Amino acid sequence: MNDRTTGATAKGLTDKDSTAERQPGPPEWLALALDIEPLDVRPALATGEDPLGLIMEAADGIEFGGALVIDAPFNPSPLRRILAARGFSSYGRNLGPGHWRVFFVLNGGQDWERDADVEVGPEGAMTWREDDGLHIDVRKLKPPQPMLAVLRLLDAVAATETVVVHHERVPQFLFPELAERGWRVERMAEEFANVRLWLMREG
Amino acid sequence: MVPGMLMMGAKDRLLPPSVPFRFFASAVVLHVAGWGAVLLGADTLPGFQGGLGPALAGLHLITLGVLGMTAMGAAFQMLPVATRRQLGPLWACRLTWWLYTPGVVVLSLGMGAEHVGAMHAGGWLTVAGLSLFGVLVGRNLLQVSDLPGVTRHAWIALASLLGLAVLGLLLVSDVGVGFLDRRGAVAAAHAVLAGYGFMGNLALGFSYVLVPMFVLSQGVPDAVGRQSATLSAVALVLAVAGLVLGQGMVAVAGGVVGLVAIGLHLRALLAVLESRMRKRLEPFFRLVRLAWILLPVSVVLGMAVAVGGAPELSAPLWGWLLVFGWLLTFVTGILQRIMPFLASMHSGGASGRPVLMSKLVAERPLAVHAVCHGAALALGVVGLMAGSVPVIRAAAALGLVGALAFALSAFLVLSRLIAQERAAQPSKA
Repeated sequence: MNDRTTGATAKGLTDKDSTAERQPGPPEWLALALDIEPLDVRPALATGEDPLGLIMEAADGIEFGGALVIDAPFNPSPLRRILAARGFSSYGRNLGPGHWRVFFVLNGGQDWERDADVEVGPEGAMTWREDDGLHIDVRKLKPPQPMLAVLRLLDAVAATETVVVHHERVPQFLFPELAERGWRVERMAEEFANVRLWLMREG
Repeated sequence: MVPGMLMMGAKDRLLPPSVPFRFFASAVVLHVAGWGAVLLGADTLPGFQGGLGPALAGLHLITLGVLGMTAMGAAFQMLPVATRRQLGPLWACRLTWWLYTPGVVVLSLGMGAEHVGAMHAGGWLTVAGLSLFGVLVGRNLLQVSDLPGVTRHAWIALASLLGLAVLGLLLVSDVGVGFLDRRGAVAAAHAVLAGYGFMGNLALGFSYVLVPMFVLSQGVPDAVGRQSATLSAVALVLAVAGLVLGQGMVAVAGGVVGLVAIGLHLRALLAVLESRMRKRLEPFFRLVRLAWILLPVSVVLGMAVAVGGAPELSAPLWGWLLVFGWLLTFVTGILQRIMPFLASMHSGGASGRPVLMSKLVAERPLAVHAVCHGAALALGVVGLMAGSVPVIRAAAALGLVGALAFALSAFLVLSRLIAQERAAQPSKA
């Protein structure tokens, strides 16, 4: 890891008892799970079927370090605890009314349950608030969606806001547009598949 | 912290600015040379259907010199960022320029002076540069699976590059020997592969990333990119086969399929424009819009050439609208946008802040270029239709003035960048 500014994420990964209140931001392993096609159990639940068997079957096929993604109509806390007992850590995102997306990774349950209330923008970027500012995750979006999502957010926020961008790589094409809008990159942290940039207005 | 510093720590940092800008600078210089050669050979343009001399040299200075150089510079800089994959070793990118630039110059001089030896030497150097470029881009594309709209068009461009290089070398070798029975048909197939196959598909593929990025809009759906690429490939195969085999209607069928591909492409980009965040379209877009209009017009004229309709009129008009109309208009539009954009992106190392793009753009010379270029195109069409050498000469002169204005704007980007960087240095202390 090459975090020049904060050790929050690294600290969170080593603390087994951490909760959502103590661990800001998405876990580092999330980047590995973003590519996984979600298993959407909402249709099954809508017709009264119990998808637990299907989920457990999918979980059985996951090797250590692998990931599983579930789309559910609510926060499936019982499921998360069942899978935690099998060594899965989970990170849940409330994508909107009746739609939770929970990411599981089989890592021994180091980081077993974390959540975030997020908003999903038109480009598919997720935004949420933390102590250090308004976060936006544009990873896994195809160009030019990441740039568009960031600029749309910058155009909408207050002048005093700090925006923290989670990106897969250093977004070189974004810098000229930031400068034109009077924003600057205050600091940056590079981790595997998670480059974070703290953006602030000039002056 | 500044972008210049950020990039130093990034694993996927950009190539040094000297790589893309050497290609762009060459394109700007050869743009002037190309129009100059057209001016010199203006008297041969009415009824032009090939043949050595300044007109053919001018044509290749524009296609290889401006269009090819810009495509290489843009691809080397932007493809690895868009595809998120490494392109290749830096030395290979530089070697491409060292092979290609003298190749284009010597080939064009050989064509202009009707010197067979120079044409052979320049042709082989040019093909060597293009081949290295093809290998580098191909290696990059092999690693990409998530940008089908861009990569499929790029693959078609590379396949066309192979075909146009083979046909180009055949044409050069044929000079003074005459082993090609249907030299005109081979030349037309070479032009189709160069104008629509190589340059055209690069333009279509890159547009799916560049246009949404420049106007700040949603990208084009992958399905549209796949469809336009598939149709482009079918169109090219039909058109080239029809021309080489002397089956005009097959080539016309290729043109029809090509028009459908263009229709899909333009409809997708118009939807991009409608949903854009940047409400004011920048001046460069005047040229892009004009190019979009001239692309299908050139295809229709190409279909007339394929069926042999008034070749002394349709052939030069087709060449004019394909090279100077669609391609040169599009490329100068894109080039005037990406030069200050990339300059801004690479700036800021000394000052702590990138130089604003808006401070680098020289709008007045670009406006002069746009007016002169548009007028040159229109006058050229009139001159070719009327068979009037003075009108064509006036068109070429206007094109030359426009090219000089364009060169001035490029020089101003560079000088303003240097001045801004110097001015910002004391603030660091």
